[in-house]
Amino acid sequence: MKYIIMALIGALASILANKGVAVFNDGLRPIIPEYLEGRMNKKALAATSFALGFGLVIGFGIPVSIAASIILIHSVLLGTDIIGTWCPEGKKGIVISGAIGALYGAGLVAGLKFIVDAFKLLPVNFLPQLGQVGTPIVAAFAVFPALVVGYQYGVKNGIITLIISFLVRQFVQYYGHFVIGTAKVALNPEGMALLTGMIIMIIYAVREKPDKDSQTVDLVSLFSDRVGRIKKNIPYLAVMGGLVAAATSMSIVAGDPISLNLLAKGKNVEAALTALARGIGFVPLVATTAIATGVYGPVGMTFVFVVGILIKSPIIAFIVGAITISLEVLLLSALAKFLDKFPGMKKCGDNIRTAMSKVLEIALLVGGMMAANAMAPGGLGLFVVIGLYVLNKTSKKPIVDMAVGPVGAIFVGILINVLYVLGLYLPGK
Amino acid sequence: MIRIVVGGQIDKERIADIIRKIGGDKITVQIKSDIEAAMAIKTNQADYYFGACNTGGGGALAMAIALLGMPLCATVSMPGNIRSDKEIIGEIEKGKKAFGFTPQHAEQVIPVIMNKILS
Repeated sequence: MKYIIMALIGALASILANKGVAVFNDGLRPIIPEYLEGRMNKKALAATSFALGFGLVIGFGIPVSIAASIILIHSVLLGTDIIGTWCPEGKKGIVISGAIGALYGAGLVAGLKFIVDAFKLLPVNFLPQLGQVGTPIVAAFAVFPALVVGYQYGVKNGIITLIISFLVRQFVQYYGHFVIGTAKVALNPEGMALLTGMIIMIIYAVREKPDKDSQTVDLVSLFSDRVGRIKKNIPYLAVMGGLVAAATSMSIVAGDPISLNLLAKGKNVEAALTALARGIGFVPLVATTAIATGVYGPVGMTFVFVVGILIKSPIIAFIVGAITISLEVLLLSALAKFLDKFPGMKKCGDNIRTAMSKVLEIALLVGGMMAANAMAPGGLGLFVVIGLYVLNKTSKKPIVDMAVGPVGAIFVGILINVLYVLGLYLPGK
Repeated sequence: MIRIVVGGQIDKERIADIIRKIGGDKITVQIKSDIEAAMAIKTNQADYYFGACNTGGGGALAMAIALLGMPLCATVSMPGNIRSDKEIIGEIEKGKKAFGFTPQHAEQVIPVIMNKILS
């Protein structure tokens, strides 16, 4: 079942990329119309999609997926972007990109399983320790709304948000247990802190009034034919969104590293809240790039992940996911108008994405160090991960900062096995 | 006086600071939303556009590409890959006005672009 659903996602996403209906990479989306309208040739498009996506698949998607044994959606959909743009045009392209995409989707599941199994066979098994990569995220994901407020309205307001979130967290930890009738309800401290932070963040954002002097551009009327193009493709996008929601509900894939690590630790409510916050962060980006380019994303504004996490039945998740992504497209024009009215919300979206990657970068780095230190105590693990991080900064082809932690931890795991074989390392008792 | 706008999506303050430090009083820098910044180039109220996002071309350049067209835009760094100084200078010589990069590489690529457009 896992293989079938991933093969379907891979096939459909590749076809959508091949036809220029939807691509996952935000950097590729603006280039698609250049190709469709004949200002760029196939070869240049294929080269660009490869350059934009390949580094992220290898350096970010795969390592994060291995560390938690859930596939990060980037690994799948950045790959299908590349497959779709490399395959030929026309009917032949649909068949070829579909076939390769299906193989790729199923291959990822098999590949991840193979890697995890192979690690288990090593003389020093480091998989249990590798799970620690996600530990700091699980504790610290709730701080990002404070960072968003800090970016947008200064450090003072950021600190106020952080303190309120912190107070809520402590209060809930000690008093967050209720008995309603016979049911026991235990509120989750981090989840409630996140929710509090998000509410404060939104209150700040909607209070910002539009600047009357700034020139506004009516995107929707400027690009009305492109909006129409997306709306025409709703049926395909609906199936795509449904499939991703179903795969998420089966815990095969996750939409971002934070909810992925929370899911891996069984914290579904927190994962759903985080995915929701991230979805809000992506609304302005996806809405404006989609309207201006006529190309959508296979997971849209990422709300299908929230659906998948909250609904345990894959079939119902499929239906609700399909409805969700269709609504997103139908509401595109309305959303663009809404964002013009509340410029604070648009900025807030940009800042959510900045804040989440900042929190992830430090949390995954510390997590990578903790995991590496657990695998190779006595300083070896820390030595290697910190060494990799600082050296990566000087590289001309650096991997993304966020990925250094997981990559470093996996590297240390393999290193201690090599050292063990050479007789230079003895596992702790 | 060279007029620069910072559009794009993330880390705008930091990018504007880096540009100010290099350009000093030879330039003006304004932070705008991506749409406003691209419009400023189109209506000739600004000379160059800088923008960052996590892919170097999505949020950073989407509006610039849509409003100005690809021939005026260049992605100078992307995840895992920074274009060489020579290539970046070549893009400016070709007449590119809008530059996208990832925030991680801002310190490396902005000085290259600035030194070229100031010279």
